[in-house]
Amino acid sequence: MATSVKEKLSSFFIGQQHIAPLAVFRIAFGSIMLLSTIRFALKGWVYAFYIKPQFHFTFYGFDGVKPLGATGMYSLFGLLIISSLLITIGLFYRVAILTFFLCFTYVELIDKTTYLNHYYFVSILSFLLILVPAHRYFSVDVLRKPRLAVTQVPAWTINLFKLQLLLVYFFAGLSKLNYDWLIAALPLKIWLPANSHLPIIGSLLTQLWVAYAFSWFGALFDLGIGFFLLWEKTRKPAYAFVVLFHLATGILFKIGMFPYIMIAVTPIFFSERTHLQIIDFLRKLLPEWGIRSRETRRIYQMPVVQQKLIWAVLGLHFTIQLLLPFRLLLYPGKLYWTEEGYRFSWRVMLMEKGGTAFFYVKDPTTGRQTEVVNAQYLTSLQENMMATQPDMILQYAHFLAREYEQKGIKNPIVTAESYVTLNGSGSRLYIDSTINLANEEETFDHKRWILPFRQ
Amino acid sequence: MRTFILVALAATGLALGSQSCSKSSDDQAPAATSFDRKAMLTNLSTNLILPAYTSFQTTAVNLDAAVTAFNTTPDAAKLTALQSAFQAAYKQWQATSAYGFGPADQANLRVNTNTYPADVAQINTNISSGTYNPTLLANLAAKGLPALDYLLFGVGTDNNAILQQYTTDSKAANRKTYLAALSTELKTNITTVVNAWNSGYTATFLNATGTDVGSSTGQLVNQLDYDVDVFKNYEIGIPAGVQSMGTAYPEKVQAYYSKMSVQLALLHIQALQNIYLGKSAQGDGLGFDDYLTQIGAKSSSGGSLNDVIKAQFATATAKLQTLTDPLSDNIKTNQGAVTATYTELQKLLVLLKTDMTSSLGILITYGDNDGD
Repeated sequence: MATSVKEKLSSFFIGQQHIAPLAVFRIAFGSIMLLSTIRFALKGWVYAFYIKPQFHFTFYGFDGVKPLGATGMYSLFGLLIISSLLITIGLFYRVAILTFFLCFTYVELIDKTTYLNHYYFVSILSFLLILVPAHRYFSVDVLRKPRLAVTQVPAWTINLFKLQLLLVYFFAGLSKLNYDWLIAALPLKIWLPANSHLPIIGSLLTQLWVAYAFSWFGALFDLGIGFFLLWEKTRKPAYAFVVLFHLATGILFKIGMFPYIMIAVTPIFFSERTHLQIIDFLRKLLPEWGIRSRETRRIYQMPVVQQKLIWAVLGLHFTIQLLLPFRLLLYPGKLYWTEEGYRFSWRVMLMEKGGTAFFYVKDPTTGRQTEVVNAQYLTSLQENMMATQPDMILQYAHFLAREYEQKGIKNPIVTAESYVTLNGSGSRLYIDSTINLANEEETFDHKRWILPFRQ
Repeated sequence: MRTFILVALAATGLALGSQSCSKSSDDQAPAATSFDRKAMLTNLSTNLILPAYTSFQTTAVNLDAAVTAFNTTPDAAKLTALQSAFQAAYKQWQATSAYGFGPADQANLRVNTNTYPADVAQINTNISSGTYNPTLLANLAAKGLPALDYLLFGVGTDNNAILQQYTTDSKAANRKTYLAALSTELKTNITTVVNAWNSGYTATFLNATGTDVGSSTGQLVNQLDYDVDVFKNYEIGIPAGVQSMGTAYPEKVQAYYSKMSVQLALLHIQALQNIYLGKSAQGDGLGFDDYLTQIGAKSSSGGSLNDVIKAQFATATAKLQTLTDPLSDNIKTNQGAVTATYTELQKLLVLLKTDMTSSLGILITYGDNDGD
């Protein structure tokens, strides 16, 4: 038993495997990112999210990340498009993937208003792709420099993506194991009937049992799918479920590219044989590439130091990945209400939350008070996202304090009255509206001025 | 594999232990039931939206005709007739402003019709120079109903003095030309919108039965919320000094010169309530009240959200009724009553924008989301 586990572990990490899955993964990731970025730009979101707003909600510790202005932002997206293309065809791969990771992550760090779990996921995948030789097979780089070609790579270079995907699904499933989702079928009980206009399934979506069925199936799917994909016997039906599940969520909810990204990257779980077939199929589409001739087995050699360094980075990465979703345990109160420890934890589509926030600035010397016209400083998207998230409320309050100091009010008192509803609970006061937010500091500690969620 | 399962089970237990103790709503949370959105859209478009547009078109046509008559022979009787035609148009606008989507959005109907306070300096510049470019951004506050309000009620202390501006004044001819340009523009804009609805948009509206940003329900709710927000800020809040450190700006009220601000505000809130209720001359049809009742939407106290919203409409209306025209004077004498009205409008906004929208699962923002 012990030896077999040891053997399995060793084959999982350092056993040699054909590089084909890695090459296919690179092509899938690159092309879906190409589509994704072009779609983003075509929708006018570069302007709406990164050029138009005069104020940005930066991430804690990343206050220095600022948008680059119109020319800069469009150039950044141009770089993203070019690097996605280069990743897909495998040209100047190392530079391309590094560029992609840096540009993408930079854009994401500019404003947490647009934070989405799948953007975080893309950042992670591109980071991991920097560490592996995904361009050493079926790529322009290999055509250019045939000496780069390899056929065998250590198994960890492929398995690390499986582990990452497994964690994403599993944590998404774990986060669904709560009262609201399982027992109250919320928020699906609100969201599904909102889709009653869809043909065929529309009338079904208004049925209560369907909301329960979707909730429970969704939770079980997320919890189990990673393991079913790992296990060879269940792999094919599991992938069929992946495709169906994500397409269904793609139709029902406005979740953008996420379903297609998952459909594109989960084939990594399939065997090298399947991936070689995919590559043969791609070769047929590109006749000048020629039929795959008999390959000479060439093993990828990585200097020991480099490998150890990468392993250390991966060890650290996955430790963080394992622990980060549990940081919610360090905070008191209801997670969905406080959102302390909510992000970066694969919590997707878990709550229907809305809010309206009014901000007041008071001059302590005259005692006179004014309501702030939020639309003067924020876009409606920013305003809506801010109203339900304490850290953003605080950031905006600090911005207002600076703004009114410049207008000549010394030590302005900034208070906020935000009314928030969670999963159809009805709106109630969200934070203590008597607290001078200008004096509160952003930390990782619990924010005492968040009012507790009462029934 | 077994280790994996053990780890998984342990983690599951941990997560359950940490999350399951809290719940966000009681067991009688909104039940999933069907509501015929298309029937609501049909009622709203047939009995409220289209009649509102066409009525406003009628008042605009009448107003333009009254301007023509007045310009031909400017006398006291024609002035009074013109003034009442203007008042009729301004009153009808209160029931029209909330429908700022679709063709009305394309025609920028709201800002072209009712950007106030009127920019008197800009109006006089346009009159003196004899040139007026309606597409100029600077002219937004020099056109539409607020500019007419000034031209018909504000250019003199009484009707005699006003009449002189169109007869003996050195710029009388230019002023008449400007008056005509504004009333014609008003008529043209609303006619464009009515024509668009009659030539295809009605079908578009009825067929966009979803709940996302571009859907008809989504647009209606978004514009209703926006209109309530504009109402509370521009008709009440800004003049009362709510957004200016308590310094009141009485002259910034709607219809400052014709002194019917409170009258208009009451018509406005009535119109907003009718949209919510789906209520028209044809009776009380399907509206958001029925939608919320059907899905069992709850307020924060656990009772019916519809009841709370209806009660808040009543409270806000009652507060508005305590105010008197001219509102600009009322603000000077009783600022407290005006800000108290503002507070009730604020509560109404929260209920419509947050509680109602969230209960209906309507998306109010563009962009992708992952549900937070």
